[in-house]
Amino acid sequence: MKDIVSVDHLRVEFATDGGTVVGVEDVSFTIAPGETLCVVGESGSGKSVTSLSLMRLVEFGGGTITAGSLNFERADGSLLDVAAANAQVMGAVRGHEIGMIFQEPMTALNPVFTIERQLTDGLMLHKGLTQAAASARALELLQSVRIPEPERRLKQYPHELSGGMRQRVVIAMAMACDPKLLIADEPTTALDVTIQAEILALINRLKRENGMAVLFITHDMAVVAQMADRVVVMYRGRIVETGSVTQIFENPQEDYTKALLAAVPKLGEMKGKPAPEKMRLIGDEAARAAAAPAKARKPEVLLQVKNLTTRFPVKGGILRRTVAQVHAVEDVSFSLNVGETLALVGESGCGKSSCGRSILRLIEPTSGEVWIGGRDIGALSHADLRRARADMQMVFQDPFASLNPYRRLKDQVAEPILNFGLATGAALDAMVLQLFDRVRLPRDFMNRYPHELSGGQRQRVAIARALAVNPKLIVADEAVSALDVSVQAQVLNLMMELQEDLGLSYLFISHDMAVVERVAHQVGVMYLGRIVEIGPRSAVFDSPQHPYTQSLLSAVPIADPRKRRFGEDLAFKPITSPIFPLGHKPAPSTYTEVTPGHFVLSL
Amino acid sequence: MTYVLNRLLSVILTLFLITLVTFAVTNILPGDVAMMIMGTQSNPEALAGLRESLGLNDPLLVQYAHWVGGLLTGDWGNSLIFKKPILELLSQKIVASAVLVVMSMGIALALAIPLGVWAAVHRDKWQDTVSSSSALLGVSLPDFFWGIVMILVFARWLGWFPSSGFVDPSVDFLGTLQHAFLPALALGLGLMAHLTRMTRSTMTGILSQEFIRVARAKGLSERTVIWRYALANAIGPVITIAGLQIGYLFGSIIVMESLFGYTGMGWLTYQALLNRDLPLIQDTVFVIAGVVMLTNLAVDLLYVVIDPRIRLG
Repeated sequence: MKDIVSVDHLRVEFATDGGTVVGVEDVSFTIAPGETLCVVGESGSGKSVTSLSLMRLVEFGGGTITAGSLNFERADGSLLDVAAANAQVMGAVRGHEIGMIFQEPMTALNPVFTIERQLTDGLMLHKGLTQAAASARALELLQSVRIPEPERRLKQYPHELSGGMRQRVVIAMAMACDPKLLIADEPTTALDVTIQAEILALINRLKRENGMAVLFITHDMAVVAQMADRVVVMYRGRIVETGSVTQIFENPQEDYTKALLAAVPKLGEMKGKPAPEKMRLIGDEAARAAAAPAKARKPEVLLQVKNLTTRFPVKGGILRRTVAQVHAVEDVSFSLNVGETLALVGESGCGKSSCGRSILRLIEPTSGEVWIGGRDIGALSHADLRRARADMQMVFQDPFASLNPYRRLKDQVAEPILNFGLATGAALDAMVLQLFDRVRLPRDFMNRYPHELSGGQRQRVAIARALAVNPKLIVADEAVSALDVSVQAQVLNLMMELQEDLGLSYLFISHDMAVVERVAHQVGVMYLGRIVEIGPRSAVFDSPQHPYTQSLLSAVPIADPRKRRFGEDLAFKPITSPIFPLGHKPAPSTYTEVTPGHFVLSL
Repeated sequence: MTYVLNRLLSVILTLFLITLVTFAVTNILPGDVAMMIMGTQSNPEALAGLRESLGLNDPLLVQYAHWVGGLLTGDWGNSLIFKKPILELLSQKIVASAVLVVMSMGIALALAIPLGVWAAVHRDKWQDTVSSSSALLGVSLPDFFWGIVMILVFARWLGWFPSSGFVDPSVDFLGTLQHAFLPALALGLGLMAHLTRMTRSTMTGILSQEFIRVARAKGLSERTVIWRYALANAIGPVITIAGLQIGYLFGSIIVMESLFGYTGMGWLTYQALLNRDLPLIQDTVFVIAGVVMLTNLAVDLLYVVIDPRIRLG
């Protein structure tokens, strides 16, 4: 069969102030009709540059194709070298013969135009349809991507649609002119796991029905395992390895591929293991990772949360009075032992972050009790709370935003120590030095500024800063979510190592079930502000009882091409609104204990 | 609808505060209306009589109530220098100034938007430098200087437009436009700079957004992408700045109208200030404040049409 795409020795350069930077070089691959080719790599690997080159969109980002050819078989059977095509020809190919979907559904649609206008303009341009015919086709497209109430959606604006619906609209737009090739650039990275499962299943179905080829760009090996026929692994602008999906996953040839796969947590791999385990890392950390399993501790409660409730006012009307309330955290209770990790999992908006912040009183809870080490946090005065904060620290998701760009790293790590008056002068310097060693950052980083560091290094600084005051509890809010998978594995191992050595307790807030399975002792699943299921990690993962936990687990992509789960269309129950009118009195959370320590919210 | 009422309510409240401030300030100034009418060398007895008949001996609160009551009932008092009812004067002059303000804002937008878009599209290239330098040139020289340049070039040398004067639009509308053009152009050049910078910076932000890439990936032409997809998103902030500039513009027309002998509100304000025509000053300030606030309300309402994400309520 003739290939629909053949890329040959592609080289893309970017002109910057500091001279020419090579985006990708010597990239060659082919895509057969009806095939899904996954290009996988970490940030900076050049995977997006490759896909944008195929659309010749790379030049809008300042890139230039300086060598190689990108041959694309057009609808009429002729071969087009995209690298050499003029703007007019590219205009006719883009959106017509090649469709493209992007990562960010929230910003992929023009906020000031209706969905209908955005769906029809391409159709009128490429297919020469009249407004009426284009509108009819737009409705058909919305139906084919299974958007509820498609007629109404046409007249709506993007902000009126949820993220999942917007991504469906973007897919409908890309599919409008029946392209022969669909390029999907991280199409599900920004989506919740159940929405991701739906979108992946949708792409699979559309591909099957229309016989189109798919070029799927992702950083997520689990998604690759689920979607790919063939895989291209990229690293620093070059292709590392190419092969069929089973070949890549079961018999990788290159060290980089092996390391990448080793760093990916696979859902289900912890079955039958009682305690968290460090990630296997290939290379210098291997020896450390293989160190003795965690020592068993005598269970001792550090954090006790009782009936915690947090509500946010919704203001409205002329006098900006409270007209309703967001029930962000609703009657949540749990306890966390010294030296253990409790993971709170759930999809966006479920209240897991609000819960973490309410515990630290970064937001004031509406009611409930929080006890840390026998102290009632809710009853503390502001001065006492400030002192108590030394025991409870937080690590945030975005290491780029959580460090002050204008201060040296050593000053940022020293700041909490100074704030709490723990040390000054030479003692302070020694402490900071020790902290940098502790999180394995080179000492010469101390005088640097945040922008000189990578994301993983910055997150280490954030952890060092949290450790500076010898806390007992660290609330890690999506602390590894923004990191590349190999870096993520290193940071997770660091966190587990610190737990062993210092007896830290983590409240680990995450959306990533596979990571949670790896690191947690206890797991609480949150849905609409409540914990719907909580218990030992093995109990929750191996025999989930609550329907929401079950659907969440069924939606997680598994990094194993022999365990495919997104063949047929999926439709999960959409999450309802947590906004209730004033005076709404929700029922208390009552639980059934299914096995010792494993509680399920009574329905 | 509640939003509009809400905003109108706040406009009324602000206008009320403005009447208080204006009244207070004009009363703190040395000299009073009677003195203005009779002159400083006048007979003290006659002066006292005039004061009594003008109600200047009444308590301040009564005088204030009298003034505001007059504003509400259409009795705006008489101008001392023009010896005419102020309401009549203002309603003539405001038309002249409205023509000038609308025209200069139109000119400023017509120049600034293409220039700003051009700069944003060719960001960090020579086009960007040209655009920002020309915008900077516009704002760094005072607008009366541009007025003088206009008079020299277009009136004296080229003779295309009259150098001064005003024609009533009900008599000869084209003539009004001709007389307004040069001062409007001079004012527009001054306004243009901020608007160009604003267009450039919002367009730059918009052009880096994902939906622009999506629009390109659909195969839309660059013209459509920039002038429809991007500009539709960038226009809101530009119009907001334009609305705020209306207030500034009412200050600028005082100089510009006097320079061009264009007898509008600005010219009137200048005459009133020059001759200490206190009743006229009070009423003019009130009208200008009202116009500025209503314009900004109109801009906010326009925003709703431009951006569907903004809901009023």
